[in-house]
Amino acid sequence: MAKREEYIDKEKKEKGKKLFGIFPAQYPREILWAMNVLPVEIWDPPLEVIHANAHLQPYICSVVRLGLELILQGKCEGLDGFLFPHTCDSIQNLSSIVSDYLGVKKPCYFFYHPKSPYQDSSRVYYLEQLKGLVARLEKQLGPLDSSQLKHRVQQGQEVARVLKQLYDLRVQGELEASNADFYRVVRRGEYLSPDDFLPLLEEFLAAAKGSAQGGPAVIMSGVLPNPKEILTLLDELGVRIAHDDLLNCSRRLLVPPSRADDPFEALTESYFAMPPCTTKDSSVSERVDDLLAKVEQSNAKGVIFYMVKFCEPELFDVPQLTGELRKRGVATLLIDCELNQNLSGQLATRVEAFFEMIS
Amino acid sequence: MYLIKNLQYHFMKDLGLPALMRFSQRTKKRRPKKLDTCFGPPLTSTGRLKEIMTRHYLLSRYAEGARPVAWVTSGAPVELLRAFEFYTFYPENHGALCGAQKVGSELCEVAEGKGYSQDLCSYARIDLGVCFSGRTPVGKLPKPDLLFASNNICQTVVYWYKVLAYHWKVPLILFDTPYNFKDIADSDISYMVGQLEEMIPVLEEVSGKEFNYQRFQDVIRLAKEASLTWGEVLATMKARPAPMTIFDAFGHLAPIVSLRGLPVALNYYRVLLNELNDRVKKGIGAITDERKRLMWDNIAIWYKVRDLSNRFAERGMNFVAATYTNAWAETISYLDINHPFESLAKAYSLVILNNNLNHRFELMERLVKEYGVDGLVIHSARSCKPYSVGQYDIKRLLMDRLGVPSVVIEADIADSRVFSEEQTRTRLEAFFEAMEA
Ligand code: SF4
Repeated sequence: MAKREEYIDKEKKEKGKKLFGIFPAQYPREILWAMNVLPVEIWDPPLEVIHANAHLQPYICSVVRLGLELILQGKCEGLDGFLFPHTCDSIQNLSSIVSDYLGVKKPCYFFYHPKSPYQDSSRVYYLEQLKGLVARLEKQLGPLDSSQLKHRVQQGQEVARVLKQLYDLRVQGELEASNADFYRVVRRGEYLSPDDFLPLLEEFLAAAKGSAQGGPAVIMSGVLPNPKEILTLLDELGVRIAHDDLLNCSRRLLVPPSRADDPFEALTESYFAMPPCTTKDSSVSERVDDLLAKVEQSNAKGVIFYMVKFCEPELFDVPQLTGELRKRGVATLLIDCELNQNLSGQLATRVEAFFEMIS
Repeated sequence: MYLIKNLQYHFMKDLGLPALMRFSQRTKKRRPKKLDTCFGPPLTSTGRLKEIMTRHYLLSRYAEGARPVAWVTSGAPVELLRAFEFYTFYPENHGALCGAQKVGSELCEVAEGKGYSQDLCSYARIDLGVCFSGRTPVGKLPKPDLLFASNNICQTVVYWYKVLAYHWKVPLILFDTPYNFKDIADSDISYMVGQLEEMIPVLEEVSGKEFNYQRFQDVIRLAKEASLTWGEVLATMKARPAPMTIFDAFGHLAPIVSLRGLPVALNYYRVLLNELNDRVKKGIGAITDERKRLMWDNIAIWYKVRDLSNRFAERGMNFVAATYTNAWAETISYLDINHPFESLAKAYSLVILNNNLNHRFELMERLVKEYGVDGLVIHSARSCKPYSVGQYDIKRLLMDRLGVPSVVIEADIADSRVFSEEQTRTRLEAFFEAMEA
């Protein structure tokens, strides 16, 4: 399959798709698919930060820093718009820097999703937010075809169903794929159209079924598995990530199916049924319960908290989560990292020590 | 038991504490204050401010069991809680106090010892440090029955209050205010009104009191008047020389943050306003030789207020405006006793930190013009991302569009460990040179 840049370019030139740069994390991708937009998520572009430092303080996380750098290096010229979901204070303000201060001549959209603890008003509001987003997009992209939306919502559910199968097999130790391969494939969903992502997942599922290697199982929590070397290191040690609690993976990909006929209702139902997440202000108890359930299902011996430095939403929950896990004899490892930085020798040693502890 | 505690609370509030404080005032040995020559005479209202805030904190010891106790974020619509007679405690205000008394860092360290990263907001770390250690310069904090947060100032408070809810095992109410990226839509207002209405049964249950609409309206009226008066207090600094400095205003802010909606806050600001108006009439300035007028951006560096105040005053520079102190005067005029819920939604969702950066720039532009500002000092606060992200661009824009020079101080609100004396001195010297050129 073509590389990310080539693929995106082809989708635009050959299929006439509009391209939108999407900042993390939760957004209704089905609406964009239905409006002939290819959402291209911006999590960790492989760049060296040069220009973004003139706009952001050193204490801002590397997801925000790299996303801004991508724009400042002129690598978003081919895009037709940006979408900023309301994820955290830094992305909130980044949206305004890009839209109000940088003179970027592209439409910028903002998507606010209600925060927990949810009430009846939250559901009504989320539905209105979806329709409001459509109304704003229509001004740029033309009217939404409701049958397309219905189709894309079903397709989204199909993607989630296959992903769930993959995750279930992994939990049961019945997926042969290495950690690196698993996340390489899963993360392709950050830019592939569902028309291509779905067959890729199905092919992977068919090929990777089989007994996993016999090393200890762990769960990875945090934002995203970057740098990839952490996955390779775990593979080399024989440690299997049996499940994850990663923001850019299971927390937003394992969307429970909805039986609602109306696509907006279906999207709303799914949003409120998704796994607990810091970006939705889920309570600490919900996160503890979710993590403990994952540990139990996968028989994990430990949890790796793989933190992006300065990520407040994640860092606030860590002491409670590690406390509850340790009370139950589950080992924990906390890693604080900057994206795209090579694994230091010291970090590799810590991971190896952790491996010995859980073996 | 409740009855006894309630009587004790009222006795202490109305008689016991005021008498105690009068007594301690009288017995305090008065050391003659060394008056710095660059400052005008100190404000006499400051004494009254100290009394009010000391009484508020002392009263917290009698609140448990007598009053429902709520811990509240500084931007939450407390007016609704006042209608149920909650005793309200503001951890952010307490964090500022710890910072000012230079105990912020050691309380942060307690939280860090429990696994909270040093990169988290220091108000949050201080508060968690107090929860874990029980240590506080005010003696003791009242245990909450309820946590009340709004994300109109930051998302951080919600992460922090979730930890508190887990620690204290008490309910958390969130007032979720959609960010104003371009405009606040009708659906945003309905969502916020819906939430306020949904809070009422929870508040009735926690407080054991029925919702009293009339009382609610009275509170809204008091809050609005107090905020408007606070706005007038700030506006006195348009005069030349300004009768107080923003560093004074950082202190005088406490009642509008912590006691908003209570008569004591309104009464206090009336007294303060009178004094300031009088100074303006008599031409008494906060500093004796006001040559340059500055604006401050972001929360104070609480452990350096006095030091910075002296450094600027020595050069005839007075701070006459701040985006921070202005926040409690800016949107409260939306409050309307005839439409309390809608007006609360508007007033609280349009505050500076829930608004796009264009709004912030326009606000600063207006303050520069109205207050005759010659220069800007930007505190890039490591703790506070919503306030700090975007400041570098604002600095550039203010210079390009208005020709206003500025300096960025990289520091923190309450954790003095991240303050670099050396870096600050170098930057300020360059700024002073530019201002004096
Ligand atoms: S300092 Fe900033 S991040 Fe901390 S509580 Fe206040 S507004 Fe929120």
